[in-house]
Amino acid sequence: MTELDTSAPVGVGKVDVAALVEPDRVHGSVYTSQEVYDQEMDRIFRNGWVFVAHDSEVPEPGDYVTRRIAGEPWIVVRGKDGEVRVLANRCTHRGNRLCNADAGNSSSFRCPYHGWTFSNDGHLTGVPMRDGYGSSFHEVRDAMGLAPAAAVDSYGGFVFASLNPPAITLREHLGNSTVALDRLLALSPTGELNLRAGWMKHDMRCNWKMVMENNVDGYHALFTHASVYDAVKPAKVSHVPSKVEVYVRDLGNGHSEIDYAKEYSRLDEEFIWFGRIRREKLPNYVAAMEEARGAEDTHRAFVVGPPHTLIFPNLFLAEMNIMTVEPLGPGRAIAYTTPALIPGADEVNEKTLRRSEGAMGPAGFLIADDGEIGARNQLGLAAGSPEWVVLRRGEESDITDETGIVNHDKSAETPQRGWWKHWSQVLTGTTTAPDA
Amino acid sequence: MSDLTSLGAAAAAPAGAVPAAGVDPALASFIYTEARLADEARYSEWEALWDDDAKYWVPMHPDHDPKVNVSYIYDNRRRIRSRIAQLNSGNRHSQTPPSVLRRLITNLEVVAQDADTTTVAGNFVIYEYRFDLTVWAGRYEYRIRARGGDLKLAAKTVHLVNAGGPVSTMSFLV
Ligand code: FES
Ligand SMILES: [Fe+2]
Repeated sequence: MTELDTSAPVGVGKVDVAALVEPDRVHGSVYTSQEVYDQEMDRIFRNGWVFVAHDSEVPEPGDYVTRRIAGEPWIVVRGKDGEVRVLANRCTHRGNRLCNADAGNSSSFRCPYHGWTFSNDGHLTGVPMRDGYGSSFHEVRDAMGLAPAAAVDSYGGFVFASLNPPAITLREHLGNSTVALDRLLALSPTGELNLRAGWMKHDMRCNWKMVMENNVDGYHALFTHASVYDAVKPAKVSHVPSKVEVYVRDLGNGHSEIDYAKEYSRLDEEFIWFGRIRREKLPNYVAAMEEARGAEDTHRAFVVGPPHTLIFPNLFLAEMNIMTVEPLGPGRAIAYTTPALIPGADEVNEKTLRRSEGAMGPAGFLIADDGEIGARNQLGLAAGSPEWVVLRRGEESDITDETGIVNHDKSAETPQRGWWKHWSQVLTGTTTAPDA
Repeated sequence: MSDLTSLGAAAAAPAGAVPAAGVDPALASFIYTEARLADEARYSEWEALWDDDAKYWVPMHPDHDPKVNVSYIYDNRRRIRSRIAQLNSGNRHSQTPPSVLRRLITNLEVVAQDADTTTVAGNFVIYEYRFDLTVWAGRYEYRIRARGGDLKLAAKTVHLVNAGGPVSTMSFLV
């Protein structure tokens, strides 16, 4: 046992999740209890929509990537019909993991154990020494293909799956968060992205929800990231709420964001979000954007920039990065981060790569410290008292409009309240329809 | 996206490498000094070893191209300065207090040589104690330049054996 093993003892009886979440506070055990964790894997990760991959990771027929969802191995593969399938990475014979690479291209998968072969659409196509199975085997063989996820759908190239039949469609699940996805795609002349630079894999010693919630916490930056603002570079706009038009927003369905669009629009300055680079430095990209979208929309896209938006449960549009999180237990998670590259825009992409390394991942100027704070949060929550985590900040200044619940103070805990409300509804089975 | 599926590849030394006996003691000494300054969190002294065209690189795979792939670290001289300023601020939480570190460097070989620059490669093990003991290992490659009477670090590449990930927080000087 090391200092970081802080998960609560298992087998303390069925946790009543409904009692752990109130509108302005949550019980600390939501981060530490194995039983809560097991319920999350079941209700959120096996029975709801989760982000699995991006179209650009599997651009050609036969391209695949392997992923884990709730500890289970999956293959995300594009068939020769162009369709992206999500198939259980488990041989239907005796269970061997079929595909053992991160990524590749193959028309079929051959099990290394006894040689059963499956086409990349999941059909069982080859069984060595078939005679040994007797004549009735033909009848079951067709039913012995790789198990598919119950539902696969995508939006703007982001592929989501629901392992079991989902209660709602992907569009219903995404709700208002499609605005954020559109905002990101508006920065690409073709409306497409390239997520092939590789995923940084950061071993986080904290609960997976801590990783996600913190991404839309506008309160912590001045403190957690003081070393960046003091020693490296000042914040892009002021942190003082009354001085800026920066908002936090609960978009519904657990999605939420920090939104700088109004502030950037007020300043009407391009690329504040990209190191305030001048458009003259990106001539080919600017030309491609103006050609595809016209001067006005291009200017607007360059001013408002990319989203800073969390899509429940495991996708974070981190401005020009994409982050997804894999839970590994109550006190452990892997954060995967890759830069959002724009096809054909090399002059932008090289800067995006360097900015991504600067901010994100295990050595990043920002995320390394977020990870440290996450680990210490886990250590703090091991205390039995007080039992609750307080999320009241900005509660009285929240305003509801057509975009969600909004607060004109980036440090309000509006996104966290939205996250927990939805989390509780999913775990207690009280949301089967969109609650946006 | 982890365990067996994400084994990286080992960084290979080029054929014709000169074995340990061929590494100039002054170069070896420079390498050990760099290691000790990193281990002891002597940030500004460590920074002073770098030349102006510095490249401090920790790739996710030895075959990756920084023009198309993201790396864990790809610092130029300016980014190194920022990294050190952040560490020196006293508020770099993931290094406050600094990790307790000791590293071993071995199997040194000269792998390339031109007029003023020697490329030396070797294996390393780092023991890091923070919340618990973390062992890091891999291959270092240094480009060391003779400038005036001085040696300067032009490039340091760190091929982690676990670059395929997942990788723990790595905000110490690796
Ligand atoms: S387990 Fe795959 S062929 Fe037997
Ligand atoms: Fe942060």
